[in-house]
Amino acid sequence: MASVAIPAPRSTRRILGRRLIPWLFVLPMVLGLLAFALYPFLYLIVLSASESQLGDPFQEWIGLENYSTALKDAVFIDSLRRSVVFAIPVSMIELLAGVVIALLVNGSLRGGHIIRTLILLPLITPPIMVATAWKLIFNPTGGLLNSVLSDLGLIDRPVSFLGSSQWALPAVALADAWQWTPFVALLAIATLQAMPGDVLQAASIDGAGRWSSFWTITFPMILPSLAAIFLIKLIITFKVFDLVYSMTFGGPGFDTNLATFQIYRVGLQQFNVGYAAAQTMLFGLLVGLITLPVVVIRDWTVKNWL
Amino acid sequence: MSGANVAAPGALPNVLDTPVRRKWPVSPVLRWLGIAVVLTFVLLPVVYLFATSLKTRDEILSGAFWPETIFWQNWPDAFDTVNLPLFMRNSVVVGGLSALVTLALAVPAAYSMVRFATGGKALYSVVLGSYIAPPIVALLPLFYLLKWINGIDTLWGLALVHALASVPVAIWLLDSFVRGIPKDIEEAARIDGAGHVQILLQIVVPLISPGIMATGIICLILSYNELLFALVFTYQPATQTLPVGISLFQGDRLVNYGQMSAASLAGILPVYVVALIFQRYLIGGRTQGALK
Repeated sequence: MASVAIPAPRSTRRILGRRLIPWLFVLPMVLGLLAFALYPFLYLIVLSASESQLGDPFQEWIGLENYSTALKDAVFIDSLRRSVVFAIPVSMIELLAGVVIALLVNGSLRGGHIIRTLILLPLITPPIMVATAWKLIFNPTGGLLNSVLSDLGLIDRPVSFLGSSQWALPAVALADAWQWTPFVALLAIATLQAMPGDVLQAASIDGAGRWSSFWTITFPMILPSLAAIFLIKLIITFKVFDLVYSMTFGGPGFDTNLATFQIYRVGLQQFNVGYAAAQTMLFGLLVGLITLPVVVIRDWTVKNWL
Repeated sequence: MSGANVAAPGALPNVLDTPVRRKWPVSPVLRWLGIAVVLTFVLLPVVYLFATSLKTRDEILSGAFWPETIFWQNWPDAFDTVNLPLFMRNSVVVGGLSALVTLALAVPAAYSMVRFATGGKALYSVVLGSYIAPPIVALLPLFYLLKWINGIDTLWGLALVHALASVPVAIWLLDSFVRGIPKDIEEAARIDGAGHVQILLQIVVPLISPGIMATGIICLILSYNELLFALVFTYQPATQTLPVGISLFQGDRLVNYGQMSAASLAGILPVYVVALIFQRYLIGGRTQGALK
């Protein structure tokens, strides 16, 4: 850039440049975020206050009517409830399973590298292919689960798991657990590896048993990270769409009609985009309200445990 | 947590014999049993998909895990039924393009945010916070935005959307790599008269190239796997990606499970191959961020 001997005015300009350039580095990303995050948000608010069809938006301003309709719409409210009932337990189970897997494969292990790589495969499998595999497993005619259960004598007739009110949502949950537990395990392994080794060494010199040292030392230390992992996973579980779309298409009836799928149906199947926008806003609000306590708990553990 | 009793130490721990890194709280037998269960669960659906791809229609109905006679015909038939190479090409173009755009946006931004605290904590929170909203939120507004710039039903339009969607993930991943650069190296370059842009391009980028590689691959995979945006923003086979192609195939009522399995596996394989080749990059960085 400039030569070494710089006169004063150029120097101030250079200092200004030094200050400005870091902002120029973030500018393209900020513009991208404006297009991808801020603009959709504002657009959605406006859309939700209008009578809009997909091909013909903003026909008429109707204020909060879409919202009041949504709050009285049993199908929509049920889809919200279903999303909550799906996301919270599924995330908890995946957190527990992921941590157990992390503990199993962390540390020295013969073939550890290949085992850890294999365990990550579900995470990178396209969800639509995940759905294909699990549909085959749950298939009533010759599917793996039906063959196994009938071989064990647990069922006399084939069960259509994805066609049953009782089993369809748990079946989607199982596919979700297959896909996403490795993600939790990956983050949990990173957390365990970030633990300072000397703390554990000190504990073992003090005569702490391995199990008790896990509960008294490791567990409290990784708890804030676990809360963070749970938070991320909870948000991702609320977003689930692909599995529902290709495993059950929301059915049977509305039994797997999670909020994301409900919004898709209203907006892109019924083309009622104004109403879908209002539902999206309410869904976003709900996810925010539910994840907020997790954020608070995480901050609290960071403050009080570390 | 059934290992509690097994793990109870029978004798006082022998400090001299205890390796420092020993953290594992239950017996090796239980540990390997657990790993076996996990690996079975992980591999079962993929192996079952492969087994099904080698079965005739009748054999699929019979319910046997492995076919008695191997029926390879599903594979060529699947390629005849669905234009897999075209969908795959579209996926790779969209994925590659979007990963490049994501990196172009995220690398300078991540460097600036870490090194100069540009935008402070607020910008960091906004960037990561934008990831919270379900993609379905952005679906309709982006549809109209793409329509406005004539990006509907184009590969570049979908790539642009995927690129922007991946930015928060990329920032999150790159963050730890940028933090890992010793400040002294940059200081030395600065004293030698290098400007910000020079330092970024000639020092930072080469130093964090493994991180850029990992981030690029992860963004590529995210785009390759994405369904919702691809489903809504493309209409024709010429622009549809693999997940869309497979999902349309599934929608067909006369679907043949053997062919569907073959088509699905054909779509999965490229991702697995990429992941295995680049595993060194993928299982590193953020995932082992604080590992000494």
